[in-house]
Amino acid sequence: TPSSLSVGGALGDPSPSRPFRPSRYVPVSAATAFLVGATTLFLCFTCPWLSERFSSSIPLYNAVVFLFTLANFCMATFMDPGIFPRAEEDEDKEDDFRAPLYKTVEVRGIQVRMKWCSTCRFYRPPRCSHCSVCDNCVEEFDHHCPWVNNCIGRRNYRYFFLFLLSLTIHIMDVFGFSLLYILHHTKQLDQVNSGVTMAVMCVAGLFFVPVAGLTGFHTVLVARGRTTNEQVTGKFRGGVNPFTHGCLKNIAHVLCSSQAPRYLGRLRKPLSVQVQPPFLRPPLSEAQLAAKVLDNGIQQSKSSLEIMESQSIDADPPPPPKPEHRYPGLPHTQNEECSLLTEAPPTPSLYKYRPAYSSPGKNHTASAHSSKMSRGNSMTESPSVPVTTGQPSYRSDPSLSSRGGAGFRGGGEGGRAGSGGLGGASAFGGRSYPSFTDTLLQSAAASCSSSLRSAHTAHNALGPLISEGTTSTSYKSLANQTRNGSLSYESLLTPSESPEFESAAHDTAPGAPPILGYTSPFLSAQQREGSLQACPASLRPSPNRAFLRPTSSPPSRAPPLSPRARSLGSPPPGPAPGHTHLGKSLSYGGGAELQHRPSSSGGGTPMPKLTDFYLLFFFPPHQIFSSTIKQNVANHNTHSHKPAGGMKKVTGVGGTTYGISV
Amino acid sequence: MATEFHNLQELRHSASLANKVFIQRDYTDGTVCKFQTKFPSELDSRIERTLFEDTVKMLNNYYAEAEKIGGQSYIEGCLACLTVYLVFLCIETRYDKVLKKISRYIQEQNEKVYAPRGLLITDPIERGMRVIEISVYEDRGSSGSSSGSSTTSSSGR
Repeated sequence: TPSSLSVGGALGDPSPSRPFRPSRYVPVSAATAFLVGATTLFLCFTCPWLSERFSSSIPLYNAVVFLFTLANFCMATFMDPGIFPRAEEDEDKEDDFRAPLYKTVEVRGIQVRMKWCSTCRFYRPPRCSHCSVCDNCVEEFDHHCPWVNNCIGRRNYRYFFLFLLSLTIHIMDVFGFSLLYILHHTKQLDQVNSGVTMAVMCVAGLFFVPVAGLTGFHTVLVARGRTTNEQVTGKFRGGVNPFTHGCLKNIAHVLCSSQAPRYLGRLRKPLSVQVQPPFLRPPLSEAQLAAKVLDNGIQQSKSSLEIMESQSIDADPPPPPKPEHRYPGLPHTQNEECSLLTEAPPTPSLYKYRPAYSSPGKNHTASAHSSKMSRGNSMTESPSVPVTTGQPSYRSDPSLSSRGGAGFRGGGEGGRAGSGGLGGASAFGGRSYPSFTDTLLQSAAASCSSSLRSAHTAHNALGPLISEGTTSTSYKSLANQTRNGSLSYESLLTPSESPEFESAAHDTAPGAPPILGYTSPFLSAQQREGSLQACPASLRPSPNRAFLRPTSSPPSRAPPLSPRARSLGSPPPGPAPGHTHLGKSLSYGGGAELQHRPSSSGGGTPMPKLTDFYLLFFFPPHQIFSSTIKQNVANHNTHSHKPAGGMKKVTGVGGTTYGISV
Repeated sequence: MATEFHNLQELRHSASLANKVFIQRDYTDGTVCKFQTKFPSELDSRIERTLFEDTVKMLNNYYAEAEKIGGQSYIEGCLACLTVYLVFLCIETRYDKVLKKISRYIQEQNEKVYAPRGLLITDPIERGMRVIEISVYEDRGSSGSSSGSSTTSSSGR
């Protein structure tokens, strides 16, 4: 049986025992009601006259378009977006407290960070992100759409896009034909038919602008080969998108590729192959034999050295060999072949990662790992995934999440297509905000490795201090707890940093060194080393104190330091950070403007009132109060209610702040 | 005599799972499904490098074929739109067909190449196509012989 149709998303629930939240179903019910209701009224009250007066093909055409719209709506709603199943236990054998939080891979020449997902227990592939609403990692995560109550990802993005297109056309048709009816019945407006037709016209007119705007926005995304998450979080602001293949190929990829398979709900084939000893063994290669002859138990063999050198693709630098492997000749029970394989294996899961050996500079990937922090078992499973915990994911309309963004904070992650390579970091999760925090926290964290396990106790104190960067570079156990508190500040200060992408052009924060967000892992390593040497003692006492030292950051970080330092203790200054994001709200509110984010140095202009309305449209107010974001609301209340001259700022996904005139 | 009987039984069912090796995805060409062909050191004593690389390369080819955007996928897409996606209930998509081919290939490889060497490949689709999982089995029954001592090489922990 073809298995491409699968019930996921709205109905299926692969994650265990999530509470039933009826509020999740309100937008999708409303959308369905409007779509089906208005169209039915149109077909029943307006079309009979149209078919008599003009042609019977008019209702037929409208019915076909409506059917197509409905089909795409259902597919977008019910289809599994590409949910990754949880990794099995044996896939991750590393001691969580020591494993790096990020792995870096090179995608077409660009460094992309893959973040460890503590819920799903694997490093998120590039473009993958964890949706906090659905509590799943989704492949090529675009956003979580409340109107279909489902994530939009690799498998169902095409249907979502076609739904938007067909809905726009359908609305235009309904509006147009209703207008035609009204224009021919100007003298009979008191009739029921006319009244209904006018009502339908109003509904159509109301929905047209936001839907058309969203359609235009997604058309541009498709042409540029970006996901909503990547666009909103400004990952490719420097202009280098490793996932694009050119406009035509991008469109073909969305519309013409074969339906991707689902990963969940597959029948597992029973193992039919018997594994019985005796086992065949490969003969020793010449290199191994030669090396063995020379090997006095201390030297590395050629083959194992080759293995080490060829590890460039694998992001994890091999830890140095354990003492018992250093002298392969000595152990009595070892095979001849085994004795040569003493070096670190390429697969990280087989070796524990010792903090003492986790020094940078081993190879190019080591620098990325200098910012590594152990993953740590999520102390508290809920905040563990930076964005998962109770954070509403990014909605189909960015402002939506920003509204709830007050509570979103971490939620942003869900929204943000964390970008798998970006380690699902997106604005909140993986993204390390300016390396200032990386270095600071790295040095702090590195020196406090022993206190990692007690890190969870420092949750509250660490909240304001732990920035995204912190979590991204710190041990996962730390990251998990602080994420909630830190995200709000991060988002305000660094609107759209994409440190995961270490490509050239990034001007993120004003005054910040251009490489700040993008080469952070590498710089962080250097900084960290310096900091480690410089002041390990001062940072050693406890995680709390360590993180309460914003000023101890290296001087090069000074420019971003000050706003950050302010944010650490109190909400950031009102208008400046907030306004920087207004442009974004413009782009979403207006729908049709697909702007490049304004640089954070540019002051914002007050939003036009019309877009306010549409922002409200896209952010059903109840979302703000949904239980998924309750835990974050407290964290965000302080800064989301900053006085700003009648402008209410809401933290959105990806660290963007949207201002809404009140 | 009882001892001999006991040893025979031990030799008969003595393969036990010792370790799992995970072949990660190769993202250098983007999000297209491709696995690293780098030979993991844990398998160095278990299987010839060329055999392993052939398997992974073949799998990569299959996945590339599945994800190819060409004539068949265009037709499938058009047909799906025209039939309001009901066609998915009737036909098997290109990707599904290739996945079946892959499944058969892995089965065959397991039977012919990997199981005789005490290894088993798990279909990556079961892991969300993120890793190829290779289970390494140990010959527990003959712990005194040379092959039994290979435990130390793969677990090494």
